[in-house]
Amino acid sequence: MSLKKKLARMKTHLQEEPAPAPAPENLPDVSPLEKYGFVPFYLDETPSLRRRTVYEVSRAFRERMERVVENWKEAPDHPLKHEQAVEQLMFFDTETTGLSTGAGTFIFLIGYARLTGDGLEVTQHFLEGPEKEAPFLGGFLDDFQASDVIVSYNGKSFDWPQVKSRHQFLRRELPRLPESGHIDLLHAARRFWKHELPSCRLAVIEEHVLRKPRTNDTPGALAPLLYFDYMETGKTEELTGIFDHHDQDVRTLMELYVLLSEKVLQLDTLRSADHAAAAHWWEKAGSPAHAEDHWRQAFEADPRSSYRLRYAMMLQKRKKKQEALALLLPCLQDRSPSPEVMDELAKLLEHEEKDSERALRAVQRGLDAAPDSRTMAKLRKRADRLQKKTGGLGL
Amino acid sequence: MIRRKTLNECIQELKQDENIVNWHEIPPVPAAAVPLPDDLHQGLAAALRKKGIPELYTHQLSTFEAVRRGEDVTAVTPTASGKTLCYNLPVLQEIAEDPSARALYLFPTKALSQDQLSELTDMIDHMELNVKSFTYDGDTPSNVRQLVRKAGNIVITNPDMLHSAILPHHTKWISLFENLKYIVIDELHTYRGVFGSHVGNVIRRLKRLCAYYGSSPTFICTSATIANPQELAAMLTGRQMTLIDNNGAPRGRRHLAFYNPPVVHKELNIRRSPVKVVNELAASFLEEKIQTIVFARSRVRVEIILSHLQELIKDEYTKRSIRGYRGGYLPKQRRDIEQSLRSGETIGVVSTNALELGVDIGQLQVCVMTGYPGSIASSWQQAGRAGRRQEESLVVMVAGSSPLDQYVFSHPEYFFEAPPESARLNKDNLIILADHLKCAAYELPFSRGSGFDDLPAEDTEELLEYLVESRVIHERSSTWYWMNDAFPAHNISLRSAAQENVVIIDQSVPGESRVIGEMDTFSAMTLLHEEAIYLHEGVQHQVEELDWEEKKAYVREVEVDYYTDANLAVRLSVLEVDREKQMAEASVQYGDVMVSAMATIFKKIKLESFENVGSGPIHLPEQELHTNALMLEFTEELFGSLGEDDIEQVLLGASHVLQYIASVHVMCDRSDLHSVPEVKAPHNQLPTIFLYDRYPGGIGLADRLYHDADTVLQKAASYIAGCPCSHGCPSCTGMAEAELAVKDWTIYLLEAAGGKVTK
Repeated sequence: MSLKKKLARMKTHLQEEPAPAPAPENLPDVSPLEKYGFVPFYLDETPSLRRRTVYEVSRAFRERMERVVENWKEAPDHPLKHEQAVEQLMFFDTETTGLSTGAGTFIFLIGYARLTGDGLEVTQHFLEGPEKEAPFLGGFLDDFQASDVIVSYNGKSFDWPQVKSRHQFLRRELPRLPESGHIDLLHAARRFWKHELPSCRLAVIEEHVLRKPRTNDTPGALAPLLYFDYMETGKTEELTGIFDHHDQDVRTLMELYVLLSEKVLQLDTLRSADHAAAAHWWEKAGSPAHAEDHWRQAFEADPRSSYRLRYAMMLQKRKKKQEALALLLPCLQDRSPSPEVMDELAKLLEHEEKDSERALRAVQRGLDAAPDSRTMAKLRKRADRLQKKTGGLGL
Repeated sequence: MIRRKTLNECIQELKQDENIVNWHEIPPVPAAAVPLPDDLHQGLAAALRKKGIPELYTHQLSTFEAVRRGEDVTAVTPTASGKTLCYNLPVLQEIAEDPSARALYLFPTKALSQDQLSELTDMIDHMELNVKSFTYDGDTPSNVRQLVRKAGNIVITNPDMLHSAILPHHTKWISLFENLKYIVIDELHTYRGVFGSHVGNVIRRLKRLCAYYGSSPTFICTSATIANPQELAAMLTGRQMTLIDNNGAPRGRRHLAFYNPPVVHKELNIRRSPVKVVNELAASFLEEKIQTIVFARSRVRVEIILSHLQELIKDEYTKRSIRGYRGGYLPKQRRDIEQSLRSGETIGVVSTNALELGVDIGQLQVCVMTGYPGSIASSWQQAGRAGRRQEESLVVMVAGSSPLDQYVFSHPEYFFEAPPESARLNKDNLIILADHLKCAAYELPFSRGSGFDDLPAEDTEELLEYLVESRVIHERSSTWYWMNDAFPAHNISLRSAAQENVVIIDQSVPGESRVIGEMDTFSAMTLLHEEAIYLHEGVQHQVEELDWEEKKAYVREVEVDYYTDANLAVRLSVLEVDREKQMAEASVQYGDVMVSAMATIFKKIKLESFENVGSGPIHLPEQELHTNALMLEFTEELFGSLGEDDIEQVLLGASHVLQYIASVHVMCDRSDLHSVPEVKAPHNQLPTIFLYDRYPGGIGLADRLYHDADTVLQKAASYIAGCPCSHGCPSCTGMAEAELAVKDWTIYLLEAAGGKVTK
């Protein structure tokens, strides 16, 4: 990190003073947005507006964040993993003039939250008008490092491609876009809450997961219209709602990141469904050991669920066939066993125990339990083969 | 074993048929070939030789040379004349010399792009050069899209995709735009009317982005035979064009037979239904396993003929051997049909003119047309479907009773000697233009003083000011920026000016409703009203519900013995008369009109006998259309003592013939140009005939008619005078029984308007 940038960053205590850059001639009138904390700063000749707000952070939250990053250092690869300095996580979001990702959609508010030594710092850049896009985007890029990691909500498919698209228009005037790492928390949230929440919009997550329902919030969907109004009238009152909404969004992202990491790293108490989601994710990330652990806990927390089967399958995958067998065998006595479990059990009995008769009994119980057509086909096939082995002992 | 007849035997038999009114034989033409040019890239030359092409046809060489000189060219290439080499040669040559060079190929349909890709890939494989070519359309998987954007030397797409997916996302296509050397526009002649006017604007946008990225591509267009390929290409691309029309391709012997069905009602000059004749003719060829294509003008006719043919020979062939092909089918279905035609599994195709386009469906031996296709150019396009590979072929045209058909059949010299029609488009149609200006502003801000490609800055700014008022763009620092959350291209369909389509949903299987096609709203009023019988792949569907608000038609499979035909009531009001000229005793005007159309009733017509077996009302809101019209205004004195009803009869007769003659003259589909007579027109209280463009804002048809009014009136008068009937018939005045001498009155009226009868 360059000294200049470090200095610039440290300088930011609460509200920033106007940058003492060499002002161009004909200094523009003081922008009315100044009353909301936006101050002009100069990269080149043209000023752009920026607001820095520093929030106090509780000791507890800071400790949670530090603990998460510490723990990630020890963990295998995972999409949420971050092992560098906490400050390098940029919790990032944009407000745009539309939801289409084509050339005519502008970003008019871009910013991020960071956890710094001073607290939780939110930086917001505002586009006063489309003609000022170069200093606007340039200002955003100016305190952005290739080593920074973007943390967003749906930013991989929306916000960042949008930044790229806008950058293309200005590529002769601006430095290249850094190829930063990117963690998209929407994917993470879907893994954990897709089934239980009406949607995974950030506001819904805030209300139901973080238990912090917003009051007096300006809905994000209104943002384009309010910005168009501002373009026409120059009036800024209505914009404050968007500034605050955006500010809240990036701060929520930080909290959400910590919470999700704690779940995946088991630093928090997890419900059985959380364990299942974490297990799936570790499986996909290529860490079967972690996945097994989560499946076990999911099963232990909810033994009657399908988690038993998933846990058993993970055990098998990890060559712990006897453990898997021991896990499934009691189900043979269940009053109404799951056909899928019976199929899996029969497989183990047949191949591990070489006990065709008991395997056949498992198949039989599975067939009795009204399996779906796919399982039915599998069971029938297994039954045929086993019958041949056992010399045609009828079912 | 019964030996099948050969095509030649069928031809000899048909010649004896008494209903053949004209037999025209076109002798074979040998090839005019020239050696491969010396400066042709070695790999390319070697590839051609390997593919068995040791020399070029003259027009291929001329195109190659002109493009190499940097000229924008338009090559006239009849069916099967090797047109693809006209553009593939210069494009591949350029890429061989400069691997970073890129080209964009535009085909009017997705099916054509697929064909082109396989041909191009074959050529490239033979070249042993690393040229990447891809199709880019709605079916392209998203992981391939990235590759196409970054690395495709040749991107093959259609105007719709260019309009809605490529141009609005140009920041993802920078390497294409920066290195774009050639834009190939195949099937140029299809870019006319509304579609052409839209595409002309898409090309304005394309050129604007190229300029922004610093490229200035050369245009290579290929066209079927029309009167004004050079002019059309210039209108479409805004560039001056070099015309290449020295076709050097060989042609097999071709027979053209005009079959006029016998008169079954002498008094009324009513002929046997051409649909029935076509059914019999087509069946006679298909029974001999001679691959035959049948063209019909409307979707409904296609389906009627299809079901007849499938019924007729269902014992002998599976259903797949005879298939329908028309615009309303979804792309996947169409590609499946094309494929099975090529493989020979299908021997008969019944098609609307969707297949006029150069979709490669391999060799067909016979082409049967149900009625005159409406234009000379279109006829030759359809005829070109038969005998593509230098063999003998037969084209049979079966006349309908319409004035147009009978006119062509009574004047075969018109067909064989008259210059083909010219194609029109109107890029500056305000509605179409404003829509594309929105898209253009979305793509790139406009700065003051710059035009929209060939639209002058002054006009561009005026329109932009308008868009500012409608709050979609915003001016700051002398630049107009898009300031709206909409994605304008999504709301604009290139295929209709009426922007909204009705989706057709089949709910025959409960719980498995599926979309089987779509239709523009204006057609939907008469084809998808409730209780309408909508035919799809030969299967009858009844419209159970038409949700006009949501633009959805719910249909269910049925089996009935009738089809439906709806009436459209039209009212006109004149908004402004722009130009006016006196023609003998009538006045001809051109101006803006408002058309209000309302579907009124529908009739159920029996399939076998074409009897009317029932009717019902249609309850749909009136649709309004602001367009351009030609108005032919007569004085009341001309009609002497005739009463209003009689005047109406006479005007109806004249307007009937004028619509047909005029649509031939301007080379448009009959449904593109409407004619309406008014005994007391609201704007002048005088007997008036209106001829108007059926698209919002007009597409230049009425404009052209005003310009050529004397010719059109003369043709109309001569046609009626030449009709063999005595008092008017469905073929000329459109009416059969009349106490009034409508025919004489109509001729008198047209003559009064300056239309001299010539023999």
